[in-house]
Amino acid sequence: MTASASDALIRLDGVTKTFGTTTALNNASLEVSRGEIVVLLGLSGSGKSTLLRHLDGLEIPTAGSVEVLGSQVPSLKGRALRDLRSRVGFIFQQFELVPSLTVLENVLTGSLSGVRGPRLGLWGYSRASKLTALEHLDRVGLLDRAYQRSDTLSGGQQQRVAIARALMQKPAILLADEPVASLDPESSEQVMALIREIAADEGLTVVCSLHQVDLAISWADRIVGLRHGEVVLDTPTGDLTKAEVMEIYGRVATTTAEIRAVAEELVEAAAQVAAS
Amino acid sequence: MTALDSATDAATRGRGPAAQGGGRSVAERAPKRPISPERIAASLTLVALVVLGILAVRDVDISIPAMVQSWGNAENFMARVGGLTFPAPGDLAWLIALTVGLVLVGTLLAAVLSVPIAYLAASNTTPGNGWRAAARFIGVLTRALPDVVLAMAFVLMFSLGTLPGILAIGIHSIGMISKMFADAIEQIDEGPRLAIRAAGGSKMQEFASGILPQVLPSWVATVLHRNDINLRGSVVLGYVGVAGLGLEMSYAFKSLNYGKGLGIALVIFILCVVMEIVSSMVRGAMLGEQKHTRSWIDRILHPRLGSNAAAAPVGRPAWAASPQTAVRRPWTAQRVRHTIAGVIAVLVVVGSVVVSQINWMDLITFWAKLPEVAAKFWPPSFGNYDASAMFQAMRETVAIALAATVLTLLPSLLLGSLAARNVAPSSGARGTARLLLVGIRGIPELILAIVLVVITGLGAQAGVIALAIGGIGLLGKLIADSFEEVDRGPERALRAVGATRLQTYTSATVPQGIQALIGHSFYMLDTNIRAATILGIVGGGGVGYYLLNASQGSRYETVTAIVLMILATVLVVEGLAMWMRKAFR
Repeated sequence: MTASASDALIRLDGVTKTFGTTTALNNASLEVSRGEIVVLLGLSGSGKSTLLRHLDGLEIPTAGSVEVLGSQVPSLKGRALRDLRSRVGFIFQQFELVPSLTVLENVLTGSLSGVRGPRLGLWGYSRASKLTALEHLDRVGLLDRAYQRSDTLSGGQQQRVAIARALMQKPAILLADEPVASLDPESSEQVMALIREIAADEGLTVVCSLHQVDLAISWADRIVGLRHGEVVLDTPTGDLTKAEVMEIYGRVATTTAEIRAVAEELVEAAAQVAAS
Repeated sequence: MTALDSATDAATRGRGPAAQGGGRSVAERAPKRPISPERIAASLTLVALVVLGILAVRDVDISIPAMVQSWGNAENFMARVGGLTFPAPGDLAWLIALTVGLVLVGTLLAAVLSVPIAYLAASNTTPGNGWRAAARFIGVLTRALPDVVLAMAFVLMFSLGTLPGILAIGIHSIGMISKMFADAIEQIDEGPRLAIRAAGGSKMQEFASGILPQVLPSWVATVLHRNDINLRGSVVLGYVGVAGLGLEMSYAFKSLNYGKGLGIALVIFILCVVMEIVSSMVRGAMLGEQKHTRSWIDRILHPRLGSNAAAAPVGRPAWAASPQTAVRRPWTAQRVRHTIAGVIAVLVVVGSVVVSQINWMDLITFWAKLPEVAAKFWPPSFGNYDASAMFQAMRETVAIALAATVLTLLPSLLLGSLAARNVAPSSGARGTARLLLVGIRGIPELILAIVLVVITGLGAQAGVIALAIGGIGLLGKLIADSFEEVDRGPERALRAVGATRLQTYTSATVPQGIQALIGHSFYMLDTNIRAATILGIVGGGGVGYYLLNASQGSRYETVTAIVLMILATVLVVEGLAMWMRKAFR
C-alpha cells in the first residue's frame, strides 16, 4: 500500500447497490485523500446521490466495501454509526431545515450527536453551544436572522444555514448532494464559494455532486464522472477544458435521451456563461 | 404472440382510416369497461346499507302529523315547567369551571398517552409491523369502548368526583387522537428528519427535533377538536355519577325539576358553542402563523419576495453586533406574543388540574380494589335478560344509527356543499352555512335527545332525530372540508368549456370528493352506533337502556356482556368501513 493510499479518508471498493431490479451503483471504486475537493459529475439517475449516501451510512451496499475515516461503514451500528455521521457533514439539495424552527435551533441540531437525549426548544442547549452556533451563523453572514423561522429565509440563505448546521458537527468530511440545484445563479455562486472557503479554512475533505460541467471544472480539484452507477471518468481538473470533459461525456452517452440531456446541459451552461 | 402484442397491434392498425373499413363501429371497438368484483361487492353492500337505512327510517315511523301533535304536548309540558331556572350564579360558575376543567384534563391525558401509540402506529416511525399492529389495536379498542361504560367501571373503583370522568375521557379519546397523530406523522416531510439522522442524531432526537416541530400545529388542532367532542359528551358522564353540569342536570331531571334541568341543558349548549368558537379561533391563529410558509418552488420563482418577507431593518439590529451579544434572544413583538400565548396555555392547564380537585390518593388505593371490581364484571352473562331480547335491542340500536345516518346524508351534502369555498355561490351563503354547521355541531346530541324525549316521548324516534340533526353538523363540516381540498384544475377546465356552476359541481367537484364522502359517511355510521348506545341511557331507545339498568342494578356481568356485544358490532362496522375505503380507492 502506498503512502498516498493510506492517507485516503474515503475508500470505496467495488460497491454495488441495487434497489429491487434497478442498479444504482455498479462496481464503483473511489478513493479520496485528505483535503481533496472532489466533484461527482453525472446526469440525474447516474448514482451520485446513492454514492454520497453510502459514505454517511444512510445506505448499505449490496456488495463491496465502504471505508470512511478508517471505519467500515456498513458494519457500524448505534452509537458508533452516529459518531461517524457526526464527523461527516451532509448538505442536501432541498436544504432540509425544519421549517417551523428558528434558524439558530436548526444550526444547533448539528450538535445533537454530542449530547444525550432529545432536545425541545432553545433552552435545551448549553450557552456554549449556542455561542458556537451563532459564530457559525456569523460566518455564513446570517447572524441577524438567528431568531427567525427558517422558512422565512430565501433558498440561498437556507442553504447557508444548512452549511452552518454541518459546521456545528466539527466535520472532517463534507458531503454535498447537488447543493445548488434548487438555487438561482447568484445564490449558487455564493454557496459554492462559501463551501470552498470553509473547506480551505478548516482543512475539510469535500465530495460534492453536481450536474453542471462548467461549475465542476472551475470549482473542483478533481472530477469523477458517473454513468449508470459506474465510474467512467476520474481526472484532476488542472488544465482540463470543458470541451474535453464534454468529449468524454459525449463518448459515454449512448442513448438518444442521454445525448439530448447532455446537449441541454451544454445549452444551459452556454447561457450561464453568456449571462455572467 | 402475447395478449399485449396483439393489443398494440390492433391499436396500430386502428390508427389509419383504412383500418376502420372493417365495418366495426366505434362502440364495438371501444374497450369494455373493466369490472372489479371487489368493487361490485362493495357497491352492493353500500346499496344494501342505504336500503336498510331507509327501511329503518320507515320502521321508526317519523310522521310529521304525529310530531305536530306532540308539539302540543311539548307546549303543555313547557307550561307545566313554568320557565327555565338556573343554579345560583356562584354554583353555576363553579360547575362550568369543573366541567371544562375535567374535560380538558381528560383530553390532555389522552393526548399524552397517544404520543407513544402514534409513534408506534405510524408507518414511517414504527420499529416493526408487530408494534404497529399492537398500537393500532389499542386505538381501535379504546375507540370502541364508550366513555360512559368506562366511567361506570371507574365510578366503582374511585370515590365519586372527577377522576372517573377524567380517566374515562382520557382512555376513550386515545382511539381518535392516536389515529390522527399517526396520520400527521405519516404526512411529514422526511427531509429534515433525514438531515438530523445524517448529523448523527439518535431516534429520539430525530423525533424531538425533526418530527415534532412539523406535526405540532396539526396535533394541537386535533386535541382542540377532540376537546370539543368530549365537552359535548361530558353530559352523559353525569348520568353515571361523574361530577359537573351533567350530574347536576341528571339530579334535576330525576327529581322532576324540569325547569332547572332544561336550564342547565341550555347552559351546556351555550358552553359547547363558545368552546367551539374559541378552539376554531386558536386553530385559525396557528394556521395564520403557518401561512408565512412558502414552498421552495415559490422562493425560486420569486426570490425577492422571500427576502422582502424576511427583510430586517436596514443594517444590523443592535443585538446582532456579535455572536456574544446575540446569545440573548431579543424581545421582538412576535416573541412577546408567543410567550403570552404560552403562559396562558400553561395557566389554563394548571387551572384545569386545580379545579378538577383530583383525589390523587385514589390512584394508589384503586389498585387494591381492582381485582374485586374486575371480578364483579366477569364472567359476562345476560343474567335475567333474555339473550334474544338483548340481540333485538342491539338490532334496534344499529337500526337507529343507520336511519340517522341516512337522514343525515342529504342535508349535510347540501349544507356542506354550500359551506365549501369553491362551491358556494356567494361568500354570504358560505358564511351562513358555516355558521349553521357550527351551531348544530355545538348542540350536544344528548341534550337534543332529552328535549326530544320530552316532545315525542320515550323511544327510538327521539334517538333517530337527535342523531340525525347532530350528524349534520359533523358530516356537513367534513364534506365542506373535503370539497375545498379537491384539485381546482378540473373545475376551471369545465368552467372554461362553458359548464354551469351546477354542472361544474356535479362533474368536477363531486367526483373528486366522492371517496372522502363515502369514508366520512362510514365514520358517521361508526360514531352513530356508539352514540345510539348512549342515547338509550336517556330514553332514546335501543340497548343503552338495558346498559344503564344493569349498571344501576349492580349487575355488572350483564354490563360486560352488553359491552362485548357493542364492541363486536362496532368492530364489524369499522372493518366494513376499512374495506369500503380500500375498494373505492
